Amino acid sequence: MAGLRDGPKAEADGASDGSAVATPKVVVDGVDKVYESDRQRVEALSDVSFTVSEGEFVCLVGPSGCGKTTLFRTIAGLEAPTGGEIRLDGEAVTGPGTDRGMVFQEYGLFPWRTVRGNVAFGLEEQGIEEPDRSRRIDEMLELVGLDEFADAYPKELSGGMKQRVGIARALAVDPEILLADEPFGSVDAQTRDMLHEELLRIWSETGKTVLFVTHDVEEAVKLSDRVVVMAADPGRVREVVDVDIDRPRKRTDPAFAEYVDRVRGLIGE
Amino acid sequence: MSVEVGTDSETGATTETVTGGDTSEQSSIGSLSDLDAIGLAYGAVGTGVFLAIWQTAAMAVGRTYLLPSPVEVATAFLVELTAPTSFTVPFVEISVPATRLVANLLQSLLHYLPGLVVGSVLGIALGVAMGWSGRLDDALTPVTRFLRPIPPLAWIVFAIVWIGIGHGGAAFIVGIGAFWINFYNAYAGVEGVSTHLREVASTLGVDDDLTMIRKVILPAATPSIATGVRTSIGQCWMIVVAAELFGAPGVGFQIINAAQNLATDVSVAYMAVISLVFLVSDGAFRRVERRALAWRD
Repeated sequence: MAGLRDGPKAEADGASDGSAVATPKVVVDGVDKVYESDRQRVEALSDVSFTVSEGEFVCLVGPSGCGKTTLFRTIAGLEAPTGGEIRLDGEAVTGPGTDRGMVFQEYGLFPWRTVRGNVAFGLEEQGIEEPDRSRRIDEMLELVGLDEFADAYPKELSGGMKQRVGIARALAVDPEILLADEPFGSVDAQTRDMLHEELLRIWSETGKTVLFVTHDVEEAVKLSDRVVVMAADPGRVREVVDVDIDRPRKRTDPAFAEYVDRVRGLIGE
Repeated sequence: MSVEVGTDSETGATTETVTGGDTSEQSSIGSLSDLDAIGLAYGAVGTGVFLAIWQTAAMAVGRTYLLPSPVEVATAFLVELTAPTSFTVPFVEISVPATRLVANLLQSLLHYLPGLVVGSVLGIALGVAMGWSGRLDDALTPVTRFLRPIPPLAWIVFAIVWIGIGHGGAAFIVGIGAFWINFYNAYAGVEGVSTHLREVASTLGVDDDLTMIRKVILPAATPSIATGVRTSIGQCWMIVVAAELFGAPGVGFQIINAAQNLATDVSVAYMAVISLVFLVSDGAFRRVERRALAWRD
């Protein structure tokens, strides 16, 4: 899984690696997001701050309306914060970019492109030529276990398969972090369990930093190193919970249930 | 006779209503090959009954010029199909042997095709531009809304004074018809592209408008654009008939000319030519469309 790009960011990482503390990969620094219209003012995010370390798996959980999707979109650069800033490797995020690989709940696959074509999209934009492009696509499809469906169109795939294409496409451009917004929200429970295993495997194989938005507390406890628990009205960080259970984690483990209860308690469920 | 023709030209002009009706009609025709044997049998029976009623009615009327029978029409069709004449290839001015029917069809194609192609390309271009750019949309919507309801044939005066009667003028009229159909389909297609897909593309490194249009907007709008092109392929034949009223040579002119000479069997034979040409071109386009847009749900 060697990176295709040896960009300046990779070098910057090396330079700032002097300290013993893990490098903060993502810094969410006092982010506010206010939607104002003539009639009302909605405070979607209020002074949200937390950091994600290099290689860490962090989940954002919270009740609906806590602004987690807004935060996701802001980190993605699809929306600008009204206050504070988001830094990736020390650089402020000002717009969307391939340094953040995005996985969406609704997949967002290009229906006119095959599985292979979807994975190729970002690589084409990066100007990666053949045969490197094909090699990279093959590598990604193998990673998500879709090599046999390379030439299928999205309409021929199940929800779980579509999301694997989404993950492969996001990872193909070798982003600094993987950002996922309820990626498994539209698949059935069994498929979700399988995709969890796969995502964890991909995470450990690629060593990517993952920021994962979900409303499912069990999902968050199962996957992440740390859970950022958010609260609504206004959207803010209630607490950050370190999940200290060895992987693979089992729902039947009493410790697992304890974490779930604790996070649920914080959310107020 | 002229009343009938007048109705025809109106039909060609009121594109929107006709389009809606046509689509369902076309889909039933297009799926002919998929029908099962029983369906085909029903189709054969329906056709037979229709022809029998027509034949009986024609025999009852007893006068060809009032109502030509299917046999008379078929005979006239075969005569036109085989009667030798010549066709002058434009620009090079070389005369080649042809039959009357083929020569007339080629004459029609000489304005149908340029009108269809140029009108479609311009319509798609403006539709995409306005669908993409909100500013351009705001600026031009009053103009397009105002010009759009004007039937293509109403522009005949300008076709005549600017270009003259003949292929050029007829192509102009056909082009106007093709333009609006394609404009609206392209516009709707581009407007309908989800912002989600655009956002996805932007997170994958697309950061300029041209790339976005080329790699996301156009492919996503293609089904709608293709529908526009297919609709205009049919509609433009109706416009051809109307445009040829004013003296451009071709199939439509033959329909009118023969009718005025009370040779209604020949007139109906040329109506059948338009039907056949439409069925063939529409079927061919559908085939291409199905293959090219296999990714659709």
